[in-house]
Amino acid sequence: MKNKTLNLAMILLKNGSGLGFKGSSTATKVMMIVLFAIAIPSMMGGVGAFTMFLMEPLMVIGQQGLVLTWGIGITSAAVFVFGIFYIISTFYFSSDVEYLLPLPLKPRQIVGAKFLVVTVFEYIFAAMIFIPIWITYGIRISMGPLYYLYGLVLLILMPIVPLALASLLSMIIMRFTNLNRYKDAFKIIGGLFAMFLGLGINMMMQSMSMNLSPEKLSELLQQGQNSLIGALPSIFPTAGWAGQALVHSGSLKGLMYFAVCIGFSAAVFAGLLALGQLIYLKGVVGLSETGSRRRGHGLEEIDKGVEKGSVITTYTLVELKLLFRTPIYFLNCVIINFLWPVFLLFPFLVRNEEVDMLAEISKAINQSDAGGIILAVFFALALFVSGSNGIAASAISREGQELYVKKYLPVSYKDQLIAKLLSALTLSYVAIVTMVIVGIVLFKIPVTTGVLVLLTGWLPVLFMCLSGLLIDLYNPKLDWDNEQKAVKQNINVLYSIIIGMGLAAASIIPVVAFKWSITVTLPILCGAFLALDLMLYNVLKTVGVRRFGNIDG
Amino acid sequence: MIELLNVNKTFNGNVKAVDNLNLVIPNGEIFGFLGPNGAGKTTTIKIITGILNADSGSVRVNGIDIKEEPLAVKRSIGFVPDTPNMFLRLKGIEYLNFMADMYDVSTADRKERLQYLAERFGMADVLHDKIQSYSHGMRQKIVIMGVLIHNPSVWIMDEPMTGLDPRSSFILKEMMREHADQGNTVFFSTHVLDVAEKVCDRVAIIDKGRILFNGTIEEMKEHFNRNESLEKMFLELTDSEK
Repeated sequence: MKNKTLNLAMILLKNGSGLGFKGSSTATKVMMIVLFAIAIPSMMGGVGAFTMFLMEPLMVIGQQGLVLTWGIGITSAAVFVFGIFYIISTFYFSSDVEYLLPLPLKPRQIVGAKFLVVTVFEYIFAAMIFIPIWITYGIRISMGPLYYLYGLVLLILMPIVPLALASLLSMIIMRFTNLNRYKDAFKIIGGLFAMFLGLGINMMMQSMSMNLSPEKLSELLQQGQNSLIGALPSIFPTAGWAGQALVHSGSLKGLMYFAVCIGFSAAVFAGLLALGQLIYLKGVVGLSETGSRRRGHGLEEIDKGVEKGSVITTYTLVELKLLFRTPIYFLNCVIINFLWPVFLLFPFLVRNEEVDMLAEISKAINQSDAGGIILAVFFALALFVSGSNGIAASAISREGQELYVKKYLPVSYKDQLIAKLLSALTLSYVAIVTMVIVGIVLFKIPVTTGVLVLLTGWLPVLFMCLSGLLIDLYNPKLDWDNEQKAVKQNINVLYSIIIGMGLAAASIIPVVAFKWSITVTLPILCGAFLALDLMLYNVLKTVGVRRFGNIDG
Repeated sequence: MIELLNVNKTFNGNVKAVDNLNLVIPNGEIFGFLGPNGAGKTTTIKIITGILNADSGSVRVNGIDIKEEPLAVKRSIGFVPDTPNMFLRLKGIEYLNFMADMYDVSTADRKERLQYLAERFGMADVLHDKIQSYSHGMRQKIVIMGVLIHNPSVWIMDEPMTGLDPRSSFILKEMMREHADQGNTVFFSTHVLDVAEKVCDRVAIIDKGRILFNGTIEEMKEHFNRNESLEKMFLELTDSEK
């Protein structure tokens, strides 16, 4: 009899629709392949080059092995942070859960299979960071064949420990949030909690690594021989051991660490299965139910608040309600607009010397000729944030299998697209408002500049909403079984981010290069975006509307 | 009134889902659309409601061609799809208000219809709960209410009886009769031959995209020249096609 966990994992993998290549037109596929062919090697090349740059000084003090430990540590941390949401949505919010629960499967088999599915997806991510570091080190130090063999096995093991930690947190959080009828609200709070916990753990790790006393540090440094590898604490012990295994791959010491890594990962996996067996069902059973109040309003009260509204307003409000009430959408598309300023400020707020940097920046900002740059920076941030919230770039994808409903409503496709555009525009604009407030309070930007940004910031936001919506119209990802796939595993959001980043650079570079003042920057940027917006709006109401009609519902 | 004239639809270039279909359903009639799984019932319904475009042929509702005036046609139709799992995170009342806005129903009219429908379907107590908390049957009822809130002249349903309890199913049949008697058209697909036999003025049997029979149950009995159950005739008709 074949192993049920593996069997189930294979079926789940086959059933998943990945990033949404399926069903795309040939042109879209070619575009994606070209994009990946450029983006992935250049990113990996960048990591490789950076590794070389770090290794040279480390080699002088005999601590070059640190790049491996750092590399594995960073990979593990990244897998952990990105993994938490992925784990929650795969373990708990995926619609296959309802089909799996009645099957004669043990909870640990479901947990094991779902864990493996997430692990496979994380390989893409882990490989992109780890492979260039591993290969660069191997070539530079001329390592033997065992180094490469160990590295391959360690890469396969790498996501296990961080994902197990993410699963552990998720299972505990979900065990206690699956409590009452306010499940959606609890999912949101649980998700936010996990996100902040992830960030907190990362910060803790950073400060732990800073806490090594200077004497100890210099002693270790003098030893050379990669002595620092074992000394740096980390919440992922495998990072240190894997580093040791690779650095000493030629000796017995390396073999021992390699065996420890394998043993530890296997033990963690087994522990996770055992925990899954104990608490998974308690968190997942009944999750899809929603409590109701059945308050017995009575016939006379039911039509309270029932009023006729305009089609576009009602449609837009429903789009917004669904974004706010669906936990995955709320966390990925809504809350992010309020959190970006916090994320961006994070590095400034946690370290002392950088608070001075904050003062320096506000001093620079308040120079009389900085208005142009401030405006350009806000435009750039607006482009980046409204691209990365993915509201417009997943507006069609989020409809999923229910898109057909929008086809039989007696509302023109143009009006429906405008309503989708308005909901994306509204939420993205909120991000501008928060950023302006942060700018005025913390960076002391002049209030007049802030007002100017509020008056003009909708122009770049509108551009991102229009382009995102058009991208999604051309390559909608409708075949999904959990909402996470519509917004997070959606390549359209990535396109939108890339466009946003490209245009952000294009908005800032000339302003800095030619030292444009606000009187030059304002008309040029506003004029350019107004022209782009008008052009894209025309495309949307002609080609876009036609395209919407042709998507099979 | 619904008119389908030489309607064709092919999927993926070779699978013919609807094959030169001709149908006329006059006002004041309940019309049952029968056929085995994958016969082309849902595809036909999707073409009439504007969800899918036909490859060729024309669809007219109340004399208006759907290709020429899609919005006018959609406004006159009320469509109940086969799966009622939509807008789950809206409250029942929010969904009904949304549908009323989409179909341009005045405040006074929607309040009156809402009272009537909530009472008829026994849904008054749950309208302020999210649809997600409803059972399958209740979801089916809220979708039916959303469709009837604009009192459509053409009422189309895809497998409407699925998930309804006997009482709700009885009420639905009653409402179908009343709607047709007011001079409207009622068109629904079903697998349940018993329902078709009891409520339909006329039925059509479709298989592999083609109409095999179109007429009253009496005519079908005459056609077979014996007094058999609809089930037997249905099996014989669709089986001879294999």
